[in-house]
Amino acid sequence: MAARSLLRSAWTSLTGFKLKTTCPNLQVHQRTSFPGLPALSFQSRGIRQVVEKKEDKISMIEGKILEVPTAPQPPNPTAKCPIYRWNLQHKYNYTDVLLLSQFIRSDGGMLPRRITGLCLQEHRKITICVKMAQREGLLPDHKPKLPEGHVPKRPKPQLNRYLTRWSIDTTKPIYKTGLKWCKRRMPVGDPILKNNVRYGVKPLYTKQ
Amino acid sequence: MSSFSRSAQQWATFARSWFLIDARMQPPGRIATMCAVRLQGKHKPIYHALSDIGDHVVVINTRHIAFSGNKWEQKVYSSHSGFPGGFKQVTAAQLHQKDPKAIVKLAVYGMLPRNLLRRTMMQRLHIFPDDELPDDIRANLTEELPQPREIPRKLSEYTQEEIDAFPRLWTPPEDFRMK
Repeated sequence: MAARSLLRSAWTSLTGFKLKTTCPNLQVHQRTSFPGLPALSFQSRGIRQVVEKKEDKISMIEGKILEVPTAPQPPNPTAKCPIYRWNLQHKYNYTDVLLLSQFIRSDGGMLPRRITGLCLQEHRKITICVKMAQREGLLPDHKPKLPEGHVPKRPKPQLNRYLTRWSIDTTKPIYKTGLKWCKRRMPVGDPILKNNVRYGVKPLYTKQ
Repeated sequence: MSSFSRSAQQWATFARSWFLIDARMQPPGRIATMCAVRLQGKHKPIYHALSDIGDHVVVINTRHIAFSGNKWEQKVYSSHSGFPGGFKQVTAAQLHQKDPKAIVKLAVYGMLPRNLLRRTMMQRLHIFPDDELPDDIRANLTEELPQPREIPRKLSEYTQEEIDAFPRLWTPPEDFRMK
């Protein structure tokens, strides 16, 4: 929620600015996924759309340049990780689905770190947030495709849950909880996200 | 209110109200604390333990309750029938499948004071697993209480404008496929 409001203000302040590319060779495309190169603007050709036109005896194949609208500049462009670039270090939660959906594939899997450019800690935090969001059902369209005609043998119980750290099949029931001073608690959430913002009132119990 | 007559004021203070709580996507413990406070009458300034001043509470949609963490698999409800070999331990998921009302009922029962009034207070608690209510209870309801937990929005519930307004944090390389 905090991330959304922060970025919406950045986006609305820059919507009036549009780069008009009349000459294709002068299209400037700032590459952010290669950390080794210096942050210079160099000429490059963008993604082209292949269009075929067939007349009587002449067939024309044209590579049309797609007009990609320029994205707004992040507040901290020199950082390597996209989250540090937009200053969202401790400002996201498992409920910020708009942020998490940018780092997942269509079947729910995480994209590799070398492609997204995330640093290791943030990649792990986002992986855990994505898993918690999937277990809650906040990403209904990012599920793995089942083979056609697949009928599950036993209907799975539809139980609502949130802030689930462990996978459903791996957790075992706590038959002996123990006495008050040595009780086996049921942890909620994940300790990696302890510095991130919480959109609730009470603190979470993360110890095992 | 000072504008009421004395009999109306007396009626308004000592009347027994009927509260409605929707437990959809809510943790059962927080629902149970709200129920227990109102069943004892602790939300009233005229509270006394012996006055029998509690209100009725109706909880709906208990089938769609949401536990935080892995409590569906880890939380265990134990009972003993009194006979040898009668110790039963059931996980929250199994108990919920057997009886969707039991989790909320046990939670409220454990939060009420351990005296003889507990049973009468439990009689004033009405739990329904779904939206359907009997007409006489529906006619008695006076107030609906706000839900304790804010339900987060799914990605499908966001409008396309909101999704477009959120900027792309990283640009994919041109030779990258399969997203």
